[in-house]
Amino acid sequence: MYKTAMLAKDLVAASSKPLVLSILADGESYGYEIIQKVRELSGGHIEWSDGMLYPVLHRLERDGLIESEWKEADTGRERKYYFLSSDGRKALKTERQQWLAVHNTLSRLWKIKPVSI
Amino acid sequence: MAGRSQHVEPIMENQTRFDLNAAIENWRQELAAQPNLASDDRRELETHLRDSIAGFQQRGLNDEESFWLARRRVGQPEQLAEEFAKADPAQVWRERVFWMWLAVFLSSTLGSLAYSIVFGLTPVNTNSTARVAMQTTLYLLASLIPIIIVVSLAKGKWVALFSKLTQLVENRRRLAVAAFLCIALSSSIRIAAMAIFYSRNNIHNSPSMLQGLASTIHPLIIALLLIWLLPAKNRKTLKRA
Repeated sequence: MYKTAMLAKDLVAASSKPLVLSILADGESYGYEIIQKVRELSGGHIEWSDGMLYPVLHRLERDGLIESEWKEADTGRERKYYFLSSDGRKALKTERQQWLAVHNTLSRLWKIKPVSI
Repeated sequence: MAGRSQHVEPIMENQTRFDLNAAIENWRQELAAQPNLASDDRRELETHLRDSIAGFQQRGLNDEESFWLARRRVGQPEQLAEEFAKADPAQVWRERVFWMWLAVFLSSTLGSLAYSIVFGLTPVNTNSTARVAMQTTLYLLASLIPIIIVVSLAKGKWVALFSKLTQLVENRRRLAVAAFLCIALSSSIRIAAMAIFYSRNNIHNSPSMLQGLASTIHPLIIALLLIWLLPAKNRKTLKRA
């Protein structure tokens, strides 16, 4: 659909961390839901392959930024839920500053209004 | 039409009705064939596949279309395994080491059990050749049990029964209870066998508690290691979401 507007592979990889952390900052979630949310929010520009998200989640968990727990939903369906740890909250703050710094630099170059960090 | 060749085959295979559960079961086995995927990863991927299938079904696709689309989205099992291994190379080894230690634990408790039974059952008043023959037969009988278990597992028999047994290792508390019961049972049988042996031989050297306790040290160490290896969380902790 958006072939030309799709994110480059490097950028997908780099942005996965702040995206996951930001989604989990809004509350716990599981893999399928995270992918759906990213697809929806990006207007289809960021299309994660299902299989790539889990290694990202597991790496973040190993780094102590997120935690996980198996839970059974009301529907009886079991899912592994992820939630943000306090270290993850700090990491998200740093990520936010860095990404906004990049965003603002580009904004000034492209004559778009920068945002306050 | 790149996806076409992938779609033709399953339709040819199942000319009657498409069995969604059977398809998921097949997929699960393909995943299980990947040595780099830990069971927790496989379980997570399966819940993802099921969610994805449900998502397509809600959009009006039938079971078969939903399954194949979800399957393609999740990705090839080999690639998945590669990616997962890159994220946490140690995880799959933690699991392998756990099963190795479990085998060591079972063989050591079973071995000690067999030894105790042979010890207790062998009559005292027979001559030494008959005694050795009897003990050898009893040992062979005892070692038949693990052989039967290993062969039947390798041949895929009693899979349902063994799957039930794996529930015992799903969380730390259950594993601890099962392991300590095993140890208690095997050492009490050992003490009983010793008592029988001593009384038959008229040796007034009743087996002390200390001897019984000493025989539990080795299995206890292994049991503690096993409990430590089992992740405290990420296993079945069924809570309402």
